[in-house]
Amino acid sequence: MSNFAPPLEQNLSIPEALARANAHWNAGQADQAEMLCQRILAVWPGHSDASHLLGLMAHAYGNLDLAITHLRQACQSPRAPALYASNLAEMCRQNGLLAEGEAAGRRAVAQDPSLPGAWNNLGIILQESGKYEESRRCLERVLALQPDNAEAYNNFGNTAKRLGRIAEAERAWARALELKPNYAEPHSNLANLLSEQAEYVKAAQHAHRAIELNPRLADAYINLSGIESTRGNEAEALHWLNALLAFAPTHATALASRALALKKLDRLEEALDSANSALAAAPENAEAHNAQGQVLQALGRFDAALAAYDRAAELPGTAAEQALVNRAVQFMEHGRQAEAEAAFALAAIAFPRSASARFNHADLKKFASGDPEVASMEAMLGAEPSHADQILLHFALGKAYLDIGDSARAFQHLNQGNAMKRSIIEYDPDASTRWIQQITEIYTPELLEKLGNQGARSPSPIFVVGMPRSGTTLLEQILGSHPAIHSAGELPDIQNIAAEYGAFSESMVDSTPERLREAGQKYLHKITPLAAGRPHIVDKMPLNFALAGFIRLILPAARIIHSRRDAADTCLSCYSKLFASGQAFTYNQAELARFHRGYQNLMSHWREILPPSHFLEVGYESVTENPEAEARRILAFLELEWDASCLDFHKAGRAVKTASVNQIRQPVYKTSAGRWKKHEQHLGPLLEALNAP
Amino acid sequence: MNVAALAERAQALLAADEPEQAEALLVPHLASGSGPIPLWRALAQALRRQGRMQEVQQIQIMLVDMFPGDLTTRFDLAETLLTLGAFDRGWREYRHRYSLAHTTKIERKVQRPRWEGEAIPGRTLLIHDEQGFGDTFQFIRLVHWAKERSQASVIIEVNPESYGLIRRSFPGFEIVRQGELPPIFDTHCELMSLPMALGLQLAQLPGRMPYLMADPPRLEHWRARLQLLARPLVALAWAGRPNHPNDANRSITLDTLAPLAASGAQFVAVQKGPAAAQAAPMGLKLFPLSDEIESFEDTAAILCIADLLISVDSSPVHLAGALGRPAWVMLPFVAEWRWLQSVDTTPWYPQHRLFRQPRRGDWASVVAGMTEALRALGIQTSPADSTSPQK
Repeated sequence: MSNFAPPLEQNLSIPEALARANAHWNAGQADQAEMLCQRILAVWPGHSDASHLLGLMAHAYGNLDLAITHLRQACQSPRAPALYASNLAEMCRQNGLLAEGEAAGRRAVAQDPSLPGAWNNLGIILQESGKYEESRRCLERVLALQPDNAEAYNNFGNTAKRLGRIAEAERAWARALELKPNYAEPHSNLANLLSEQAEYVKAAQHAHRAIELNPRLADAYINLSGIESTRGNEAEALHWLNALLAFAPTHATALASRALALKKLDRLEEALDSANSALAAAPENAEAHNAQGQVLQALGRFDAALAAYDRAAELPGTAAEQALVNRAVQFMEHGRQAEAEAAFALAAIAFPRSASARFNHADLKKFASGDPEVASMEAMLGAEPSHADQILLHFALGKAYLDIGDSARAFQHLNQGNAMKRSIIEYDPDASTRWIQQITEIYTPELLEKLGNQGARSPSPIFVVGMPRSGTTLLEQILGSHPAIHSAGELPDIQNIAAEYGAFSESMVDSTPERLREAGQKYLHKITPLAAGRPHIVDKMPLNFALAGFIRLILPAARIIHSRRDAADTCLSCYSKLFASGQAFTYNQAELARFHRGYQNLMSHWREILPPSHFLEVGYESVTENPEAEARRILAFLELEWDASCLDFHKAGRAVKTASVNQIRQPVYKTSAGRWKKHEQHLGPLLEALNAP
Repeated sequence: MNVAALAERAQALLAADEPEQAEALLVPHLASGSGPIPLWRALAQALRRQGRMQEVQQIQIMLVDMFPGDLTTRFDLAETLLTLGAFDRGWREYRHRYSLAHTTKIERKVQRPRWEGEAIPGRTLLIHDEQGFGDTFQFIRLVHWAKERSQASVIIEVNPESYGLIRRSFPGFEIVRQGELPPIFDTHCELMSLPMALGLQLAQLPGRMPYLMADPPRLEHWRARLQLLARPLVALAWAGRPNHPNDANRSITLDTLAPLAASGAQFVAVQKGPAAAQAAPMGLKLFPLSDEIESFEDTAAILCIADLLISVDSSPVHLAGALGRPAWVMLPFVAEWRWLQSVDTTPWYPQHRLFRQPRRGDWASVVAGMTEALRALGIQTSPADSTSPQK
């Protein structure tokens, strides 16, 4: 672009020069506007209007610090108009200087209460500072002065949302879009709101539309990622965060969310890197501290995780609630029940309306009739909280009424909680059935005969498999108390390796010995560092039951223990739980029973073809009836010496990260055998499907 | 080889003008339809250099779907779509042209809303041109559509070099020079954003032709100056602005045009800039005018007198087209989006003929084709003296 600049007449007055500078800037002619401003400042250093214009220009070119310097100068003049303080307020907000921005905003509205922009700028500063009521009053004023201001409607929606006035927020955003259909922000905000109402399809549409209109709108990516994560699409959730970080690599919220997404995918080291990057970018960001805490907790670094939660809880922002709950859950996972109780009490005081705190606490405590907590949760549910909170409260109340022995009420809540959860996840029961059928067709006796002794020969791995809630945690705890065995929890590695090596495809039949060995080595390579020097390691991922044949091929010396439990009791236990992730087959009684039947068929198949030297079945009920005899039988199978500490597992204080966290803190949990009979009349669809011919 | 090493190797092959080898290197790693993003980017480049724009488009759309905030790829996609004649999305994606690493600083930050094609009777619309002279000549025709559609009073701001021509040719409009203070306006639009605002379709082209008019006194002057030259009289330009990003691909040296001598035509050089100093090859009847040409006004007048312009892809091509004068355009194997693909005509200028390289770097075939065509044309052409634009 050529810089054609008309010569400036020597006798130009300051008002003339200013008028011209403004006109040039309006037309986007930055060079000419800047030259005129500099000429005025040479004659009159610090001139208010010239400084203001230079500030606006610096802002337009993204030099926020410089812009604020100019604006501060502009506001020094005794005659500076309210507009300058108002613009200073907004630039301070954009630079995170909330206190200075609020002061400037208040000066602006005091000086000229008829200036809508000043009320608007003050309104959003107050919103960011958590002063929602006052923010609402400011933004209502803007709308009274300018009833067609789309931006003001969008801002008002944000404040209303934070005040819990969901319907008002939704109306405001819809109005903003009526006024300005191509406005990206209200689309993104609606995505977030609809997601909370479990309208995921619509929510995702709004998020995509927001990104289409403004491909660099960070919030839209964060919201879209959140929607996918809630729908169980963890890889998609991670993708949208990566897409945001591709153009905003230091976005703290994105980095913190990415840490959590990676954690869900069991990529813990990468997750920690991401959380650390978030904190490097924004050391005061509560979400980043909370995310770091969750990753550290998953890595078993108790004290570091606790410190991160404590820091997140004391910083401003919405992460404090979750940090307090996470803190309590960590105590619970480590069996530190008194500290967990105290931590839940703290969370309840700070956030009396936190459904997440109630839900997690419900798992720890034993409810008795008349417990005031029950009425309080019922009241919270009556106030129609978000869809996610309603699910948490239904499961918590279901647990409470089961404790109390009120079967009817318990199932009222469990049925509702399960139905709500089922409505937001994707699960195809036919595909499950086909999948199990396919496994029995691929892993034939002939295949095991042909390739049975080719994989990596290490006796180190022990697999505990079975249905979720069938006693796998109990077996793992008994085994993990033996000095020769380390318990590693539920590892995703076999499933990952199975996917990589085509464990469910016909081509498995043509596997070469090298390839099987390589797959086995891959697993050994993953677990060896976890074993803490002990000769054996237990992997108790229950759903590895589907992969028992594959394990036999790649790790022929590994032992597989199948934990069996009464079908109806297992299913009842699954149905009464809200799992942290996965287990999509457990949220509908008939689907659950159908899955269980598939599981039983597959286990009969393994029983036929796996050698008893490497495959053992243990009844949960027998273990609870006669722990010592069963423990001795298992150790004999593993060719290990008897060790009495196996029966004292509940004193071990090892972290338990699964849904069984609170049962295994009792010596042996005997109350659950035949438990389903008490609830028979509420388990109609389940029992019918379990017993179908 | 890991991903970074592969990508680096592919870039080296591209830099060595070996896109086929780069493709062969990359394809096995992307055969499953998924794979590392940097490799897809490199493959898109390798295919683009081979002119395989449909395949390029597929990859770029996939990349943009996955990374909508990658505005550089969106701009690349815009160019691909426009090359394929997909105007709707092409012009929409073209809006990202000021979000590239080297363009963010030159975006003009007009403090008024952008016109989006709506009717705004009684209001004032400022339309301002952007970088290349050729762009201004090619797209200035759209201000007529913009005026009709907006029903606004329209101000046109153009580079000072084109000011005189455009002022004469758009009498109903207020015209100002770049950097000059325009009158007060309500809304603005960049010249190259008009296609998006107007929803321009290929079928609407070329619009009212011609839309630029030469200066009558200058026509007189050049008619006198050139009257003794033989016919056909062919104006010649062989290089564009040397700082254009694609200049190495589009510009040639005068030597390359030596075979044109065989046509027997009389040539006049309208080349400006450093390339004007190149000596004419033996036997080419080239009358040098470069030093006498002071502005586009002179070039416009000469183009109105000459029978034909032969030029590489540079501003005189657009000036000729806008004046309603024929040009033969020499295009590299992968030409800019504005020339579409494969065709030897252009909807923008119905009288133009496009001579494309049949393979990368092969200017010899282009020149041979033109020499042949020129020979066929030579005898029949009568002086084009009367061809000044119709009012």
